[in-house]
Amino acid sequence: MSKVKDPFVRIVKRDKIHPLLKVLFYCIAILAALTVGGVLLIAIGVNPLVLYKDMFTIGMLGSRFAYKSVEGLITIFVPLLITSLALSLSFKMRFWNIGGEGQFIIGALAAATVALKFGESMSSFSLLLLMFLSAMLAAGIFGGFVALLNVRFKTNETLMTLMLNYIALYLLRFFGETQAPWNFYLSDESVRPVFQKFAETAYMPTISIGKFSLNISFLFAVAICVGVYFYLKKTKHGYEISVVGDSANTAKYAGMNVKKIIVRTMFFSAALIGLAGGFYVSGAKVLSTSVTNNVGWTGIIVAWLSKLNTFAIFGVSLLISIMQYGAQAASTQFPIIDSNFADLLQGIILFFVLAADFFIRFKLVFRKSAKKQGGKAA
Amino acid sequence: MNQLEVLTLFLFNIVVYNIPLLYGTVGEIIIEKSGSLNLGVEGIMAVGAIFGYLIGCSVNSLTVGILASFLCAGLFGVVFAVLTVTMQANQNVTGLTMTTFGVGLFFFIGKGLSGSWPVMTAYSNINDGFKNALEIPLLSKIPILGKAFFSHNILVYLGVVIAVAVWIYLNKTKTGLRLRAIGENPAAADSLGINIALYKYIHIIVGSGIMGIGGYYMGLNLGGSFEGSNCWINGYGWIAVALVIFANWSTAKAILGTLVFGFFNTLQIYSGSLAYAFPKSLGFLSNVPPQLYQALPFIITALVLIFASVNKKKKMAQPAALGLNYYREER
Amino acid sequence: MAAEYAIELRNINKSFGSVAANKNINLKVRQGEILALLGENGSGKTTLMNMLSGIYKPDSGEILVDGKIVSVNSPEDAKKLGIGMVHQHFKLVDIFSAADNIWLGAEETTDKSAKGKLSQIFLRNKRFTEIEKTAEKFGFQIDAKKLVKNMSVSEKQTLEIIKVLYYGAKTIILDEPTAVLTVQEIEKLFEILRKMKAQGHSVIIISHKLNEVLAISDRVAILRKGEYIGTVNTSETDELQLTELMMGKKADLNIRRSKVEKKQPLLEIRDLTVKNDEGAVAIDHVNFYVRGGEMLGVAGIAGCGQKELCEAMAGLRKIESGRMIHEGESIVGLPPQKIIEKGISMSFIPEDRLGMGLAPSLSITDNMILKKYKQNHLNPFVDRKTARKDAQEVIAELEVVTPSTEIPVRRLSGGNVQKVLLGREIKADPNVLITAYPVRGLDIHSSYTIYNILDDLKQKGVGILFVGEDLDVLMALCDKIMVLCHGKIMGVVHANKTTKEQLGLMMTGALDLTESDNGKPVGIAKDSNIKEGVQ
Repeated sequence: MSKVKDPFVRIVKRDKIHPLLKVLFYCIAILAALTVGGVLLIAIGVNPLVLYKDMFTIGMLGSRFAYKSVEGLITIFVPLLITSLALSLSFKMRFWNIGGEGQFIIGALAAATVALKFGESMSSFSLLLLMFLSAMLAAGIFGGFVALLNVRFKTNETLMTLMLNYIALYLLRFFGETQAPWNFYLSDESVRPVFQKFAETAYMPTISIGKFSLNISFLFAVAICVGVYFYLKKTKHGYEISVVGDSANTAKYAGMNVKKIIVRTMFFSAALIGLAGGFYVSGAKVLSTSVTNNVGWTGIIVAWLSKLNTFAIFGVSLLISIMQYGAQAASTQFPIIDSNFADLLQGIILFFVLAADFFIRFKLVFRKSAKKQGGKAA
Repeated sequence: MNQLEVLTLFLFNIVVYNIPLLYGTVGEIIIEKSGSLNLGVEGIMAVGAIFGYLIGCSVNSLTVGILASFLCAGLFGVVFAVLTVTMQANQNVTGLTMTTFGVGLFFFIGKGLSGSWPVMTAYSNINDGFKNALEIPLLSKIPILGKAFFSHNILVYLGVVIAVAVWIYLNKTKTGLRLRAIGENPAAADSLGINIALYKYIHIIVGSGIMGIGGYYMGLNLGGSFEGSNCWINGYGWIAVALVIFANWSTAKAILGTLVFGFFNTLQIYSGSLAYAFPKSLGFLSNVPPQLYQALPFIITALVLIFASVNKKKKMAQPAALGLNYYREER
Repeated sequence: MAAEYAIELRNINKSFGSVAANKNINLKVRQGEILALLGENGSGKTTLMNMLSGIYKPDSGEILVDGKIVSVNSPEDAKKLGIGMVHQHFKLVDIFSAADNIWLGAEETTDKSAKGKLSQIFLRNKRFTEIEKTAEKFGFQIDAKKLVKNMSVSEKQTLEIIKVLYYGAKTIILDEPTAVLTVQEIEKLFEILRKMKAQGHSVIIISHKLNEVLAISDRVAILRKGEYIGTVNTSETDELQLTELMMGKKADLNIRRSKVEKKQPLLEIRDLTVKNDEGAVAIDHVNFYVRGGEMLGVAGIAGCGQKELCEAMAGLRKIESGRMIHEGESIVGLPPQKIIEKGISMSFIPEDRLGMGLAPSLSITDNMILKKYKQNHLNPFVDRKTARKDAQEVIAELEVVTPSTEIPVRRLSGGNVQKVLLGREIKADPNVLITAYPVRGLDIHSSYTIYNILDDLKQKGVGILFVGEDLDVLMALCDKIMVLCHGKIMGVVHANKTTKEQLGLMMTGALDLTESDNGKPVGIAKDSNIKEGVQ
């Protein structure tokens, strides 16, 4: 008979964990990630302390135009926040909407269509309203369609939304690169294909606070954040989402129309992302083929890092935005660094946080301590 | 150029430009057959590409470059394996992070080296090794097809050989059978004493390694020039994820699928010359927007996904436990 | 000379979270005997055996195989030690053939020649005939090329047994092997087990069915509430003693059964046919009714249509044909929500307890409002205030052990989970209560609490359909008992006039009272509630 020895270490599910320990694990994870990032920086001859300082202060320190940095930060932060919030709706339902990129593009495209078609003929208020409504509707249908296929035929939503991301992207490129008389998206003045700038009525209004001008999409984003919190926590819809996400069988048993809930939630999720796209182009005043700035992907990371907690999403997307904008700001001093470093660091942070999750959910039992336990019982 | 030459060149380039898709797809099929959905293909290919290129150039050897791209991408795959297999992290999120990180690392290293970036033409072994066509005796003499399909560089053949070998491995060997059992029903495999974690680790690593070679190929095909804005992989990793579905999780069909997807990819570049060479029959090609060709692989895959789910009788070969983590003591 | 005991377990402990599944268990299995492991649902039988087969790892204690202390860390270790287990949920790969499922985990041969090595690497067609031959050696006829997904339950089980034998298991564990089998198939299985014993194998069979235990085993080991009670020789025991050991005291089922005045039928089922998930007929032209103030028990072997019947009545499963009439109105085709609003409440406790009826990650409060959160359509918000009050009341009335109302249900122990579920159903103030296995895995005290709650409801005039497992309980608690066998009704009998033997015969299909009745179909009320013209 072969001899079998105890393994050196075993993985055992934790029953519960002290909240402070949880926080400690996450702090260690982030510190470890920054350390690894720092080592990489040293390897290419950049002093990590200086860079991190520049990055996390988004270039405000010592700048006479610090408010410009905040304005820039907000342009990155608003779409990311709204997209992450929207994704958390579908993730809470365990519906894998990874189509944020595509939905954002469709929303931006719809808003731009309205802006370019009716920009001259409508008042600013009604034009903006129409832009945002059509952005939401278009993106909502674009995403809701996947949910419809999923509930009707069990079409895999992860792979389907993934495909639609690229279909949307090439649609946008088609409008952005095809010079033809019908193509009202492009500017007539340029020889090369360039997107047409919107009329002034389509600009997102700003509120001036001294020199600083606050894009009001920021206020909307904060309102949406609070709204999503109440939607998930207090309303019947939110309750339905958590039941469906927890157990679809139980939801059916309780008389919920699970299919309707999935399609509706996915519609809302995609519509919100579309709205983010609408806000973005209205603030940028022009469409662009790289309009998403990867928020569809980053949003997934934010939602996951935040454990789908609404207010954590606010914090995490702010942190990620600071990293991204900060990396850009730091590039004036370190030409080697650009927003890709933010992506890299983001990736490292998430790797470590995923690892921290493991230590929160499981504990390791080593051979010796296992024996000790056995000895105690015997 | 006469008609024949245009056609030959078109077919030739379908292969040349799109073999990385085959590498990516075969790698992903190996990983998915073990039950893991890895959305990090793009990132893994990027990591394989840059390390393969830099290490290959440092010793001026194509072989070393191939090995380095395989090993570095495989090493990067370990991150996915540790997080999803041992640490039970969500596969979708981990995969996406692999992409974010991998592409970020690609640029980070590229920019870090900006001044001392190796130029491919300076490394004769690599440059010639990649550009020299190996003609297959007899077959390469067939008109049109011979030049188009049987006169390519070594990495093209290697890709096809790997695809065929993996097909045999998965379908005709005992280890392959065990791997498929894990992807279908890990609890059943576990009860038979198959070491699930070991199998998953090995196949994630090997699959990632194969993707890495594909990334290296892309870099070489672009002449190894680093531009600050475009990643060499340029979305091919995502097309590979789509191609896995189109090929119905078969590496043999992936060869065919590579040609189909490659056909559209290449049309985007060659539609003009084809239309010029065959004005009567293919003249319409110049009126088709190139973005449609780029989108077609994704449109086709989306349609395959929809039709496969509508038509329940023709079940797809998607592993039943794909995307689910396995924890023995789950209850 | 081999040791006297093939397997010995010493002081085994295992907990899941705060729930102790096994407490200090000692168990010995002799060489070449059939040992029955007897215990109620939830007494820790499967957990214990899963530790022997390497699925779980004991928190403490020792396992001895052939007198030597061993450590079983994985199914592979178990395989090496000659222990094989046939799980209740078969561990088979559906898209593989029988042969591939068997030899998938086989060790490499020792043939070192080039040809031998090659044969280890590649799949050969010879494997099918080889496996068929091996199966024949053990006394089985199988089609090695048949895919598992095309097999019947009995075929799958046979395949699992062959698999275990193929790996040279000396000790074979079967987890509730008869639960899914027909009478003939059970007899065949027992034949196989006896043959294995004759070949020198030790067999452990997990069961909670006394007649089977007595028929097949040499000795019976009893577990109760995760504790080892003792082992008796089968030849020296009887059903009564075993029941006592299993239940803890003499099966003194002093369950309260109030007499309530006969009322109109509340719910009538006529000619109902329902299919299961696989598309096979699960409920076959069934007729019965439930009166107000009456408790109708449903007896039957596990998996003979109980689940499908409950789901059909709750509107969760499409019905193929037939009528379901509630207070004169058809409820066929109504969505679950409408059926809930009519006052028909269904609570089904599946084997994993949390599968249906509760959202495990949600708090007790949130689970309280599961079925009525929609009330007051104009208000878009969930009324958690009332829910919290309900939760507190249920916790107090049913003695639910929990630190607060905001704890996720998943964190409660099994009995408390069931109390929460049943408590919610009662709070909904139903007029028809369909409850399936409400005391599954509960301790005696909690079970009696639940029996009394059900009886209270009956006194209030609620019609109750009680789907149960334990015949003694059905006979003591219910007014009438309906027996199902493979989706058909074998008859409805008065609980105080029937005998266990009669019920047992009906459950196995040996006795069919519907045929003996003179022309009148069983299960249709004389004072029928069906209004003419209602479809």
